[in-house]
Amino acid sequence: MASVSIATVAANVLLLGALYALVAIGFTLIFGVGGVLNLAHGASITLGAYSAYYAVQFGLGIYVAGLVALVVPGVFNYALYKGLIKPAGDNPVAVLILTLVLSLVVEQVFLAIAGAQPVTIPGFVDGQVAILGGLEANRVLGFVLSWVLIGGLFYFVNRTKRGQAILATSMSKKGSALVGINPDRTYTYTWIIAGVLAGVAGLFLGSFQSLNPLMGRSPLLLSFSIVVLGGLGSIRGSVIGAYFISMLDQLTIFYVSDRLAGLSGLVVLVVVLLVRPKGLFGRELAEG
Amino acid sequence: MVNNGKPRATRANGVDRRSFLKATGAGSAAVALAGCTETISGGGGGVPDTIKIGAMGPADASFGASILNSAKLAAEEMNADNGIAGADVEVITKDTMDQPSTARTGYQELTTSDNVHGTVGIFGSEQLLALMPEIASAQTPHLTAGAATPKAPEQVAEDYETNKYWFRVGPVNSVFLGESLVQFAEDRFDSMGWETIAVIAEDFEWTTPITDGIKSELEDRVGVEVTEVRRVASGTQDFTPVYDQLEAAEVDGAFTALAHIGVNALVQWAKQQRPFGFGGIHVPTQLPSFYGATEGAAIATFSQTTATPTSEVTEKTVPYAEAYNESFDKYPVYSGYSAYDAMYMFKQAVEATESVNGDDIVSELEGMSYTGTGGQIEFYGQDGEFPHDVKYGPDLSQGVYFQWQADSEGNGVQETIWPDSLATSEYVPAPWNQ
Repeated sequence: MASVSIATVAANVLLLGALYALVAIGFTLIFGVGGVLNLAHGASITLGAYSAYYAVQFGLGIYVAGLVALVVPGVFNYALYKGLIKPAGDNPVAVLILTLVLSLVVEQVFLAIAGAQPVTIPGFVDGQVAILGGLEANRVLGFVLSWVLIGGLFYFVNRTKRGQAILATSMSKKGSALVGINPDRTYTYTWIIAGVLAGVAGLFLGSFQSLNPLMGRSPLLLSFSIVVLGGLGSIRGSVIGAYFISMLDQLTIFYVSDRLAGLSGLVVLVVVLLVRPKGLFGRELAEG
Repeated sequence: MVNNGKPRATRANGVDRRSFLKATGAGSAAVALAGCTETISGGGGGVPDTIKIGAMGPADASFGASILNSAKLAAEEMNADNGIAGADVEVITKDTMDQPSTARTGYQELTTSDNVHGTVGIFGSEQLLALMPEIASAQTPHLTAGAATPKAPEQVAEDYETNKYWFRVGPVNSVFLGESLVQFAEDRFDSMGWETIAVIAEDFEWTTPITDGIKSELEDRVGVEVTEVRRVASGTQDFTPVYDQLEAAEVDGAFTALAHIGVNALVQWAKQQRPFGFGGIHVPTQLPSFYGATEGAAIATFSQTTATPTSEVTEKTVPYAEAYNESFDKYPVYSGYSAYDAMYMFKQAVEATESVNGDDIVSELEGMSYTGTGGQIEFYGQDGEFPHDVKYGPDLSQGVYFQWQADSEGNGVQETIWPDSLATSEYVPAPWNQ
C-alpha cells in the first residue's frame, strides 16, 4: 500500500473539519442557549440537502437551490421551535422525545417521496483547484463558505446587540431577562441560525457525497462528540472540537483502517464524559 | 384458509367475475380442503382456475421495483394469451423493504394466507438467506431473481430434500461474478491500459466469494499488478481517503464490486476527477436512469449486468425491455430480466406437468432449458456444483459489460463493451483522463 502524503491528509482534515464545525455549532447553540438537545438537527441537514435536490429538479439551477437549502431548514427550525419546543416548555424529556420523533418523521417522509436510493446534486463549481496536488474545487468552496459563516457568526455573537443577547441568554437566562432581553426572540434567532447552518452543511455534504434519507444521522452523532469535547454551548469549543475529531478520524482512516471511520469520535465522547465532562471550554455555560 | 376473497394486493389483470367467484369459491368445502393440501405440499396436483405467484423485492428501490413490475408484466402478457394452462395468473407483490425480517413476514403471508403456488424475486442475499428455511417449510417453488450468494445452493447441496424448492434464475452467483470479472480483465484490460489496479468491494455477503482469491487470479491469469483488495465497510460515506491511497499507489483502475454503497463511491470518483478508471460490478450504475440521476457523473463507468435494454442477449431481451418501458415508462434493471424469465419458467413447468404441485414443478425445472431474456437458462442438478443455481457460460447465462458513454447530444448511453459478439463500442476513458 503506497502511503499518502501528509499534505493530502491535512487537506482532508481541513475540508471536512469546516463542515463538521458548521453542523456542531448549530447543535451547540441550541443547547447552550435553550438547553435543548435537538435530536432533529440531523433532519435539518437532510432537509437542506433534499430541498436543494428538488430545487435543481425543478430546473432552478444550483445557485437558487443553494438559497433554498438555507431557507427551508431555517423555516423548519423556526416552525419546530414555535410549534413544538416552546409549547413543550421546560419539560426536557418531552422535548427530547419530540425532536427524536420529528427526525424519524423527516426520514420516513423522504424515504416515502424520494425512495431509499441515493441521489445527487451538482456542485457549485466544477473541476480542480491546484492546491496540494489538486483538490475538488467544490470542496474548497465549501470550506471557504463554512469559514465565512463561522467568522460571521463569531462577529454576530461578539459584536452585535442581538448576538450578545444570545450569548447573555446562554450564560444566564435569569440575568439576561433582568437586563431586558426577550428570551423568546433570542431562542427564535438561535433556532433559525442553527437551521441555516445545518442547511449549508447538508448542501455541501450532499454535493460532495450523495443524498439519502438517513444522511443526517452520522453528522448528528458526530455533533454529539464534537460539542461534548468542545464543551456544550461553546462555539469556539465546537470549532476546535470539529477539527480535532476530523483530524483523529482522518488519521485513523489513513493510517489504521478506513473500516474504523467514525469510531474515533465515539471514543472521544466516552473519554471526555469520563475525564472532563464539561469539555474543553465548558465554562461559558455558567448556569441554566 | 385459502382464497378468502380479500384483495390483498395488486391484481395483475382484471380477472373476469365468474372465474374470480369460482376461484374464491365462497363456502365451498372443496376449496377449503384444497387449501389444506396446498398449505402442506405447496400446491396439489392439477391446475386450479387461478394460479397465484408471489413477487418479492424492496419496492422503493429500482432493483426491487423491477422485480415486482416484471412479474406483473409477465402475468399481464400471460393472461392476454390463455394464462398458464388456461388458468388466470394473479401476481401478489410484497415489499421486503430490504429487511430480512420484513421479507420473512411477507413470505409467510404469501404462503400461508395467500396460498401462492410459487414465488419469484428477492433482492439482497441477506434477505434470501433469511427465507431459505421458510421456502423449505412451505415447500413452494421459489425462483430467485436478484440475490447472488452461493450459500443458497450450498444449502440445497447439504439437504436436497428439504431445500430443493429453491432455484435461482439470475444473476449468476457471486463465485461466477468473480470469474466473470477475471474473464473480462483477461479480454479487455490490455486494450484499456489497466496494468496496475486495486479491487474495491463492499463488505457484504455477496462480495465474499468475489474477493476470495481474486488477487492471485488476476495476477496469474491476466498479468496485472493488484495493489490491494479492499473490502470497504458498509457505512462508508466518504471515499476520499480510499481514492487518495489508490492515487498514491498510481493505479490505472479501481475494479469494483459495489451495490449498496456504490453511489457515493462513483459520485466522488467523478466529482474529484480521479486519474484512474472505475468499474467492474457496480449495481447502481446499471440503472438505465443513473446517468441522468447523477448529472452525468456515471460517465465512463462500466459494469457487468444481466442484460441492457439494447443488448440482444437473446431474441427476447429487447422486446421485454421495450414492453417494460411501455408499461412503466422506464427500463428495467438486471433483477427485472430474471424475474420476468422466472415467471415464464414457472409457467412452462406448470404447463408441462399440468400440475401446481411443488415436487412436480421442481423436477420439471431441474431438466428445463429455457431461452430467457438473460440467456439460455439451465439449472445445476442435485449433484451439480451449485444445485438449482443458474449455470454460467458463453452459451448459457453469461451477462454483458456495458459502459456509460455520451452520445452526440450529451445524453448517456449504456454501450455494450463485452463480450465481442454483443459489443457496440470499445472502452473509452473518462473525459478528464483522456
